[in-house]
Amino acid sequence: MRTGRIGRRLLLGGFFLLIPVLLILFPPEPHHCDPAQDIICRPEFVNDLFETPTIFSIGGFAVNRAMLLMFLAAFVAIGLLWFAFRRPRVVPTKFGAAMEAVVGFVRDEIAIGIIGPSGAKYLPYLLSIFLFILIGNLFEVTPFINFPITSRMAIPAFLSVVTYLIFVIVGFAKNGLGYLGGIVWPKSVPVGLRPLVGLIEFVSTFLIRPLTLAVRLFANLVAGHVMLTLLLASGVVFIAHAGDIGARATIGIGWFALGMAIFLFEIVVALLQAYIFTLLSAVYIQTSVHPEH
Amino acid sequence: MEEISGALALIGYGLAAIGPGIGIGIVAGNAVQAMARQPEAAGMVRTTMFLGIAFTEALALIGFVLFFIA
Repeated sequence: MRTGRIGRRLLLGGFFLLIPVLLILFPPEPHHCDPAQDIICRPEFVNDLFETPTIFSIGGFAVNRAMLLMFLAAFVAIGLLWFAFRRPRVVPTKFGAAMEAVVGFVRDEIAIGIIGPSGAKYLPYLLSIFLFILIGNLFEVTPFINFPITSRMAIPAFLSVVTYLIFVIVGFAKNGLGYLGGIVWPKSVPVGLRPLVGLIEFVSTFLIRPLTLAVRLFANLVAGHVMLTLLLASGVVFIAHAGDIGARATIGIGWFALGMAIFLFEIVVALLQAYIFTLLSAVYIQTSVHPEH
Repeated sequence: MEEISGALALIGYGLAAIGPGIGIGIVAGNAVQAMARQPEAAGMVRTTMFLGIAFTEALALIGFVLFFIA
């Protein structure tokens, strides 16, 4: 037991040591940059961090790295659930128990906890987006992938549109036109204020909700990716050019250490943003299922 | 005016982030107080805190979008 724990710690420590070693062995090529002139090379465009070149195209559809990673995230999500639950057992394996904890968390804390007893119906959707976003976010800190697919606006926007369609359709299906009426003419507000509150509620429900849902995920991942790239890359560039700039290269160690701290922070952000996206989807569905609340 | 538009957008986003920053601080601070007073309700408080933060963030996020549009 004791040796096992020490071994696991060594493994974890080795993982974090491996990344700096790999980055120094294979430094990212600084483009169009003459270190003899000026060590701090401005990146040409921040967009370059998020544009991936087309790898091949199928009948006019260009396939790039982000798309392949998107499929990979979907397959990983399906694979995790498939391997955990293909053969139900009385005593689950360690991996099965871990996946059961994830599914149980989404079901009890998010689906049933927020929407209520009828929320189990929405578990498949909530679990799918939770796992897909989580894996997409964790690609940011996965060595050799290092690209969060959720930092391309298309993916958060699409997921947010799906949530939007679900809560609008559920709202109209459960309450008929009373759903819209309850939003633009709220009964719980004094009559004089109803037009004003109704307008605010309408804008917030049908315009602000999908926008912020998508932008929250997108903005967090963009910020994280830019921060990680700048800190780790500048650390490597400074250290790699130690021969040219001498003692000034030691500042690279500081940048790199800060980058590794942000690296850990980004793992937390990835988990938290997947949770918040799923939680808010559940809350929006809940307001359609029980609109009087 | 073209060459200062980027800087103006940056200042605008900075201003837009003040309010949500204060708001998120209030939400999180009060959630910590609630959890310290009633540790048995910590799970519920945490969920509500994330919801409150998510709604408070909305203005900062709209500022972020405007920064890209500007």
